[in-house]
Amino acid sequence: MNEKQLLNISSSPHIRNRKLTTGQVMLDVVLALMPATVFGVVRYGLHAFLVILLSVFTAVLAEYVFDLIAKRPNTIKDGSAVVTGLLLALSLPPEAPLYLPVLGSLFAILVVKSFFGGLGKNFLNPALAARCFLLISFGTAMTNFSVDGVSSATPLAALNAGDAVNVAKIYLGTANGVIGGSALALLIGGLYLWAAGGITLEIPVSCIVAFTLFMGIFGEGGFAPAYLIAQICGGGLLMGAFFMATDPVTSPVTSRGHIVYGAIIGILGGLFRVYGSSADSFSYAIIITNMLVPFIDKLPIPKPLGYKGGEYKEREFPKAAINLTVITLVAGLLLSGVYAMTKSKIAEQEMADSLASYQEVCPDAESFQYDSDLDDAIEALGDDIYDSAFGKTYINEAVVGYDANGEIVGYVISVTSGDGFDGDITLSVGLTTDGTVVKIAFTTLNETAGMGMRVDEDAFKGQFEGVSTDAFVLNKSGGSTEENEIDTVSGASTSSGAVVNAVNTALAFFAANIG
Amino acid sequence: MKLKTFRGGIHPEGYKELSLGAPVRPYLPKGDLVFPVNQHIGKPAKPVVAKGDLVLAGQTIAEADGFVSANIVSSCSGKVKAIEERRVASGAKAMCIVIENDGNYTLAEGVGKKHHAGTFSNKDILDAIQKAGIVGMGGAGFPTHVKLSVKKPEAIDFVIANGSECEPYITCDDRLMQDKSRGILDGLRLVLQLFPDAMGVIAIEDNKPEAIKAMEAVCAGEKGVMVQPVKAKYPEGGERNLISVVSGRDLKFGQLPADVGCVVCNVATLYAIYRATYYSEPLMKRYFTVSGDAVSAPATFEVPIGTSFAELVEAAGGLRPEITLKKALSGGPMMGIAMPSLDAPTTKASNAMTLLAEDEVELAQAQQTACIRCGRCSRACPIHLIPQMMADAAEKKDYEQYEKRLYGLDCIACGSCTWVCPAKRPLMQLFKQAKAEILAAKRK
Repeated sequence: MNEKQLLNISSSPHIRNRKLTTGQVMLDVVLALMPATVFGVVRYGLHAFLVILLSVFTAVLAEYVFDLIAKRPNTIKDGSAVVTGLLLALSLPPEAPLYLPVLGSLFAILVVKSFFGGLGKNFLNPALAARCFLLISFGTAMTNFSVDGVSSATPLAALNAGDAVNVAKIYLGTANGVIGGSALALLIGGLYLWAAGGITLEIPVSCIVAFTLFMGIFGEGGFAPAYLIAQICGGGLLMGAFFMATDPVTSPVTSRGHIVYGAIIGILGGLFRVYGSSADSFSYAIIITNMLVPFIDKLPIPKPLGYKGGEYKEREFPKAAINLTVITLVAGLLLSGVYAMTKSKIAEQEMADSLASYQEVCPDAESFQYDSDLDDAIEALGDDIYDSAFGKTYINEAVVGYDANGEIVGYVISVTSGDGFDGDITLSVGLTTDGTVVKIAFTTLNETAGMGMRVDEDAFKGQFEGVSTDAFVLNKSGGSTEENEIDTVSGASTSSGAVVNAVNTALAFFAANIG
Repeated sequence: MKLKTFRGGIHPEGYKELSLGAPVRPYLPKGDLVFPVNQHIGKPAKPVVAKGDLVLAGQTIAEADGFVSANIVSSCSGKVKAIEERRVASGAKAMCIVIENDGNYTLAEGVGKKHHAGTFSNKDILDAIQKAGIVGMGGAGFPTHVKLSVKKPEAIDFVIANGSECEPYITCDDRLMQDKSRGILDGLRLVLQLFPDAMGVIAIEDNKPEAIKAMEAVCAGEKGVMVQPVKAKYPEGGERNLISVVSGRDLKFGQLPADVGCVVCNVATLYAIYRATYYSEPLMKRYFTVSGDAVSAPATFEVPIGTSFAELVEAAGGLRPEITLKKALSGGPMMGIAMPSLDAPTTKASNAMTLLAEDEVELAQAQQTACIRCGRCSRACPIHLIPQMMADAAEKKDYEQYEKRLYGLDCIACGSCTWVCPAKRPLMQLFKQAKAEILAAKRK
């Protein structure tokens, strides 16, 4: 050995765990998400695959370009952008338009992560923040699931205990909306991640336990196992509890902090699901709790070895704990209060709209009443679409119109079509006792102004009036000659078709149950 | 049966097999032997020889200066060549007595003569230990006679013989327990004599089955002495953790083991106590492991204290020709000191040298990312601290928070957090600096 040449020196320890790098930690998350990814692609096909690919690609590219422009060292090899892109894609609907993953990933990487200083410095989970951003900005596209309403509490509440096995099967076997929605696949991935040391169980367990207790006490289904299992497996809880909430950057450091954090998420998630708009309760619950992490980190740290007797005064405890409790309660109550208030207002408004439309389409009636046979027929349909021949249409309500003498003068059937160009179309169809269409009126219509919205003009909807037929036919070329042909609104054949299908649904229901 | 252990800790690759292949050989150096006068905790010893003096092996060449200090003994015979400042393992300079080795190893009179087999008074034992210059041989180098002179000997419930040897690569205690099990037991009994109510517990990690077998064989039928296998995990042999595992009692910063009724001695120290008491043999040689992937024939040797590290590399077959030596550690890779040069002497507390062809710290620096707050450091900490928060506080020099809220001074510098960190943050370095600065401020 050359005596002159000095050896490397450094502070101990002189070895590192070479198997464990930030890249490896991220790779483990990606591997853990693979079951859900594969499931999503197999179930939803090429489009879902494209969504995932675009999301990941955009995230990585955004980070690369940002680093380049900001003259920062290139950080894409730490793999965190891949995780963000994948998580985001898995929380998108399978039929999401392709601009959603692109915009979402850009928002996640640029706004949520890079602007705050990059990996380790962001205070919100990038993928989740991007999902919330998309939910707010593109609500319709984000909630356009092929299987509608599965994660909402109301239909689940109706399930009785006898359906327990079925419910479990449905939720473990098929998806409940988003691409990565398979509860079983998420659970497998979550457990893998735990076994690989990527996460500890404090967050998911305390989150699920708190949520389950909350739902058991405040939920409509109480502690019925079927209800609780459905609630746990649906609506993004597992994805949230195992993959979003456990994001180490945006969760507390200590294991005690993890328990507090998980419990807050569980309770907020339950609060939002019971009293709020149900579909995305967990996204918001986690994002809000992300913001509480600095407070949770202020909680007293566990006593180290040798301090069980308590040496130092923990003066910070009450302050931090009180802050935390107050903020959580205020935020939770405020949000659920706003939801609850607007929810009942919306319902009231909808009822008033319905009644007005009933009178409009059945002008001879003095009063409207429900008919138990018709109600049973609608009940029997459940939440299924009426007939695939009409696309996604649902019967909401059917009422009987009576005149001042108590004679039946007609019927009104309320139908919703999910095939509108921009969301649901709900309309009321007034029919005479022999099934002739009196009039139609819209109660929900959010189509494109100047195009789809023109179905509400008399030139279009007037075509239905006074016609007695088994089914209307949409004439896309115009110049109809037959009575049951409906000329499409120029440039809005989707909206027009949805309306025709909705009216036909009402006619079919009438023929089957009344006529 | 589930083995006793503690919460936290890590499992680095052990590499113990490297140096376990060859039998332990005595190695007698040809070159000069160098004795720093401060190779223990406490005041440096005062040289009692002058340049040009002839000395014999076993002769005291520097005397303890006060109670918390230790004698230094020459491990060879020869002539005092110099008393001057030399570089020691850490790279710092220290006053050293340099002996020109005559190669004969002529023993001083009375050294190594077995006493009449019989009993020793407590004073005999403590005097023998003090005279022999024995210090903690596990690495700390705390004078043993000070450690054993506790105010209330009857308050000690456990004398723990530390044979856990949790550092990777090092096998000298393992070999000593296999070769000198009887001597270690006799040493333990001498210490137990000082503490009438104490029980002797020999703690050995379960990755040393031969050592456990050897110690169990000599301890069979011994009253008040038991062999306690513990789980192989780093830092099982750390004093605070070992006390916790064996006695269920926990120490905090500033407390001594005696405060919770425990005395911990390394097995090598116990063997030295036995030799000093029964044979009037001062501490002048010890088992020493030379290992690592950069050396040709890793092995454990019995070496005279004061041998140069460079010479021990040659004893182990020299460096492997195909590699370049990147790092030489005095001790193991977790808590050892990186030596800038091999031209430094071994001391009483040197138990090993690890020679590495690769500098993992250098590699880690290239892989460093921002902290992802994953919490692995907290899970690895054997003292249950929160290294992630400590590092943030240390970086901001928020020492109030570091010390008071985060218990930063309790860090035992085991390096587990740093080993496990996926972001490859230099945590230990931050903590050492923070602790040094806080303690320096307190001394003012």
